[in-house]
Amino acid sequence: MDPINPWLDPAEVRHLAEQLLRPVTPTRLSAADPGFDSSFVGFTSPESVAAPAPAPAAEPEQQAPAAPPQAPPRETEAPHRKAETNLSAISESPQPPPVAPSRTRFLERIRIFRDWLAKNFHATDIFILDREGKVIFDESGHGRLHFMARNLALASRGSGNIHVKVGPASILEVIPCETPYGRIVLGSIVPEALPANHVQTITEVLIQTASPA
Amino acid sequence: MISIAISSQKGGVGKTTLSINLAHAFARAGLSTLLVDADPQGSVGLSLTRQSRLLSGFYDFLADPAIPMERLIVPTRLETFSLVAAGQASDYEAGNGSSGSHLARVRAFLRNVSARRYDICLIDTAAGLFGVTNDVIASADALILPQQAEPLGIRSVPKLLEGLNRLRIINPRLNVLGVCLTMLQQGLAVSTEAASTLRQLLPEEMLFQTAIPRDEIYIRASAKGLPVGVLEDGGGAETVFDSLRAEVQAKLGKSRHQAHIQPD
Repeated sequence: MDPINPWLDPAEVRHLAEQLLRPVTPTRLSAADPGFDSSFVGFTSPESVAAPAPAPAAEPEQQAPAAPPQAPPRETEAPHRKAETNLSAISESPQPPPVAPSRTRFLERIRIFRDWLAKNFHATDIFILDREGKVIFDESGHGRLHFMARNLALASRGSGNIHVKVGPASILEVIPCETPYGRIVLGSIVPEALPANHVQTITEVLIQTASPA
Repeated sequence: MISIAISSQKGGVGKTTLSINLAHAFARAGLSTLLVDADPQGSVGLSLTRQSRLLSGFYDFLADPAIPMERLIVPTRLETFSLVAAGQASDYEAGNGSSGSHLARVRAFLRNVSARRYDICLIDTAAGLFGVTNDVIASADALILPQQAEPLGIRSVPKLLEGLNRLRIINPRLNVLGVCLTMLQQGLAVSTEAASTLRQLLPEEMLFQTAIPRDEIYIRASAKGLPVGVLEDGGGAETVFDSLRAEVQAKLGKSRHQAHIQPD
């Protein structure tokens, strides 16, 4: 009887070990390619993907405004300084966001999702990366957070969310999520690591947000 | 200075024995060596001297970085060998603190050690990849992974490797020197099989050729508060750690060479 091998996946162990022996190379971020195929209805141009997220929320029923409100100036403060929040205010059962019409522009849906996430979980510096680690949506302005989230998502190998402490009361919460357009990675700064039921809710809402008509 | 963390996913794998004796081997080879006890259980201190339990140490520095290093560093009879005990603050630090919460202070500690011109700083961490242990690994130059040659120990390897891959994102320069088999019992089939399985599983360069045998001499040595090489009949065990020290130095030299020849 072999007492050890049934517990282990040799290919996985070797892969993990070889990964440790390889030097870690930083990834260059580029927003030029959103990573979605041509059937996706949301994007109009690569430039719109690269633009920072405007702060005001779009109402679910509202179509894209003719003149969108001014985007707030980019935060230069480190994200870990911003998540000091009253934790007791986080709802135990957060309400899902109002359902946006599925053909509402993609970025509008993401903004609605962003507002819901910020309101219910005190999340800040929210960003979303595509399956190649490129930025789809970003309000953090911190490439280092993107890099860290991308690598954490890769290291997790589909085993769920990951979080790391990045400041005295700030956690980088990384939620990889399978959508009809492939794997995307949600990153945000939260005051405390999210419990499993909240992660599940966020994942479901994000899948719904990122799904086509 | 090179800082080397000695860490394991599982407790009781001979981490402290390896740390003390490897540090002693470096010191005997003439390298100025500092052994730091970052295990809240204070195993190095318990092993070496009765009085060291009362000394200020690593966790006191984490609580108050204003403590001068001179108050923390304890010389030994061997001029090249000093140690820093876990300290008094470790009692309430045990198992507490999220990863990252002490990162800056651990790095400040290592900067202070480096400023004192040590060649090698070995850090004996608590078992598991969380809390201060994570912060130590996220700050160290290199890492040695003692792994008990028995089935339960081997089963913990995937989790350990996964955790380390995550930590390397925070510390990309971390040089994983490899896994060192410990408590190997040549006369016990289950132990040699476990060792053999691990050698098949891991890439060759990930495993040290030197394995630490299970031997009552280590128990006698730690009971007397001594590295094993200091015992009258400790010559054989001393050779084992000399061999491990040579392997560590070769790996460090190789990685330094690779770093030099890698293009930017």
